[in-house]
Amino acid sequence: MTRRFMAILFLLFLAVSPAVGTEKETPLPKGLPPYGELKPFPAPQTTSQKLANGLTLWLVPRRGFPKVSYALAVRGGLAADPQDRPGLAELLTATINQGTATRTARQIAEELQAAGGDLSANAGIESIVITTSVLASNAETGLAVLADIVRNATFPDDEVDLAKINAADHLQEQESDPSFLAERALARVLFAQHPYGVTSLTQDAIAKTTAQELRREYARRFRPDQAILVVVGDFDAMKMVASAESLLGNWAVPSTPPVPAVEKPSLVPPHAVFFVDRPDSVQTTIALGSLGPTEGSADYAATQVANTLFGGMFGSRLTLNIREDKGYTYSPGSFLTPRRTVGSFQIWAAVRNEVTGATINEIAYELNRMATTSPSEEELLHAQRYLVGNQAIDLQAQDSVGRSLARLWVLGLPPEELGRESERIGKVTIRDVDKAAAQYFPAARQAIVAVGVEKVIRDQLAPFQLEVRAAP
Amino acid sequence: MMFRRLTALLACLLGIVGAAFGAGDWRVPALTKKLSNGLVVVVSADHSAPTFGLCISYRIGFRLEPEGRTGFAHLFEHMMFEGTPVAPKGTFDRVIEGGGGSNNADTRYDFTEYVDSAPVSALDPVLWLEADRLRTLDFAPEHLDNQRKVVEEEVRVNVLNAPYGLFYAIDLPGKAFDRFPNAHNFYGDFRDLDAAKIQDVEAFFKHYYAPNNAVMAIAGDVTPAEVFAKVEKYFGAIAPRQVPPKPDLTEPPQTAERRSTEQDTLARVPALAIGYRMPPRHSQEAVVGALVGELLHNGDASLLYQALVKEKKVALEVNGGVNFVFGNPFEYDGPTLLTSFIIYPPNLKADDVLTAYDAALNGLAAQGPSPAALARISAKMQSDWYSNMEVPIDRASLLSHATLLDGTPERVNEIPNELARVTAQEVQAFAARYLVKTNRTIINRVPAPPSGGKDRGEKGAR
Repeated sequence: MTRRFMAILFLLFLAVSPAVGTEKETPLPKGLPPYGELKPFPAPQTTSQKLANGLTLWLVPRRGFPKVSYALAVRGGLAADPQDRPGLAELLTATINQGTATRTARQIAEELQAAGGDLSANAGIESIVITTSVLASNAETGLAVLADIVRNATFPDDEVDLAKINAADHLQEQESDPSFLAERALARVLFAQHPYGVTSLTQDAIAKTTAQELRREYARRFRPDQAILVVVGDFDAMKMVASAESLLGNWAVPSTPPVPAVEKPSLVPPHAVFFVDRPDSVQTTIALGSLGPTEGSADYAATQVANTLFGGMFGSRLTLNIREDKGYTYSPGSFLTPRRTVGSFQIWAAVRNEVTGATINEIAYELNRMATTSPSEEELLHAQRYLVGNQAIDLQAQDSVGRSLARLWVLGLPPEELGRESERIGKVTIRDVDKAAAQYFPAARQAIVAVGVEKVIRDQLAPFQLEVRAAP
Repeated sequence: MMFRRLTALLACLLGIVGAAFGAGDWRVPALTKKLSNGLVVVVSADHSAPTFGLCISYRIGFRLEPEGRTGFAHLFEHMMFEGTPVAPKGTFDRVIEGGGGSNNADTRYDFTEYVDSAPVSALDPVLWLEADRLRTLDFAPEHLDNQRKVVEEEVRVNVLNAPYGLFYAIDLPGKAFDRFPNAHNFYGDFRDLDAAKIQDVEAFFKHYYAPNNAVMAIAGDVTPAEVFAKVEKYFGAIAPRQVPPKPDLTEPPQTAERRSTEQDTLARVPALAIGYRMPPRHSQEAVVGALVGELLHNGDASLLYQALVKEKKVALEVNGGVNFVFGNPFEYDGPTLLTSFIIYPPNLKADDVLTAYDAALNGLAAQGPSPAALARISAKMQSDWYSNMEVPIDRASLLSHATLLDGTPERVNEIPNELARVTAQEVQAFAARYLVKTNRTIINRVPAPPSGGKDRGEKGAR
């Protein structure tokens, strides 16, 4: 079953001149030339099919740039880890390339390097994605090594032992990084005991995980009917299908049940402050968050637009306020992280200790402003154009196309979504933004994580009279 | 590597890689024109998507910032976004982001680059904005006060509040070099940042931001004729200015190994930075050095990863290369280092790591690389180099830097052939001559207990 389609990303230049400001906006300079005529942006042309064993194959052949990018994803990431082995998926990705039935770890690394590639294996929340990008002339080698890794990894005892020792030290190293601490704490605050609360390993899980457990989890997750191979770049589609058939076509489907879907979390995160004491911090790393829409939900595009004009680009309200006006921070921002059953909305800023409270005040103000008042026409248009234009620019890179398509598959969405996202963004109205902002943006809805000196955090946040407790 | 906003720092740390191999014969087109005011314009047409990338690089980086004004080149970079008398603060982002694009800037040792990426429908307004801020800026003191605060937060987030504090990029050159241009803290001492005045901003602009001190490259869905005409229209009337001559940056020779230890109250796992002084940029040995840097550090197949992480088990992570983390191994024009940044297990001593490290390097100096290892790294560098030219914004950046530093954009197509010609004997001779103790500086950075709230020297010298 092969289906071809071609979507068009509409660039939404609803007016050809940038001079569409409302009374709130400063007029643009007199001599500034208008934008030119818009050219439609072709979305990546994807061929979609399934091998007999259920392996999904999405191909995007593009002549010219002489490389080929592979992304192989399987269902079952950190959220699928056994309850007493949180983060096991990270050990799995650290060791999956450490040997197969016919190749040693070193041979894998050297063969890929000779083909112009590296292997990257990442444990996501609901998937594991393995990618490599090789010279087009060595495309076959790249796929052969990748196929070997996903089918025949052996997890040799000595390599697993070394990986565990290094993972324990690496976790200790990560725990000195305030962003790591904030991200881990926020996930635990938002999702508590739900599997979405797992973002990394624990020392206990590292100590207890055995090579045998890794082999078992590998067998459970790496199966063709729960996997996709995305190939993007300079290759012949017919030959690539033949290569995939020959290297992966006889990959057997086990009779055991696949990784079950994650259930939708039902909790409501508390509006309270969760601190992580980090002595000697000269900044407080602030992360606010709440539950948000999934990528498939009807209000996702409106929430994307709302997020963009709030904190998703340089000209956003958050950046203009706490960076360009107040100078509290270098790189503030907000973003949406969709998962299969629920998403999250997050706001981040690292600020010097003495403006921790003032920053929370401004963030709360901007959040509530979003929730209670409408953006101007120009703000809406600015955010829509930014999203559509930059997505199109991003999709010029092979790796981005591969990762984006693999992500869609993990979320249960078809490849056509790459074009539809832009169409939907173009149709968002001010009323839609208002509705999404009223639902997701109220400051009182957000949990607040603060990583820094505990006393600074307590003193700075005292005026808000929120409950303050140690992060879980 | 100091960006106007946070972007690709991680990519830098993971090793932005340069160099190549000529076998693929994939070349990017490049046409050059010099305007009468001295502005050099490079165009690389690529009609695969209706977008363009623009990079304008000025021949001024942190190497030339004045004594007493450390961090100024980067602070100035931020001031380029603070508006002009005709396009007030905010206009720049409003027009570029509102046109579907994005922009950024970053300061390196020997140049500062400003980059824009957008649908091609925004080409005219973007060129107009870049020309406008090359005429003059809005030199309002409140803008400087604002960006000084922003930059100080940038320094906190990347240095003062971060484990390791970029010691392999800031402290290591500080100990490896003896003269201010090459040795000072490029991110800036807070006393110096606080002392910067709006007059300094005006003087810096006047001295270095001249059309005759810049190269602008545009790649994407454009034609050379169209771009040359537009650039003439928007930039042609900007007058050239006298640019100060480049001072002598030569270092006195290093004669002995330099070793020191630093305490880090934020880090929990120890790390080493090792830096070897490199040969002059414009030499065959510099090409060999670029390859050796990757042979040692590029990925899981690299010599040091295999020796230190896998065989001897004395390291958790190994990163590095020539010009690490300031771009690819060709993006500099003065004294530079081949750097190794190694995070090692807390139960080991620095000497345990160094013993294994020296054995690996001595092996390279004694035997040279195997033909297979040399072929592998050539293929990998070719592949990585191609990726650096895949999308218009990156290609524009590479073309602009090559033209600025080598006088011709064609260097981006020649480097693959130059690297392909590097022999095992050259690698061996390079290792024997440069990767020696008397040519290196080592900093051992060890975890220290919390200071108990004492001043951690934000206002002091680093």
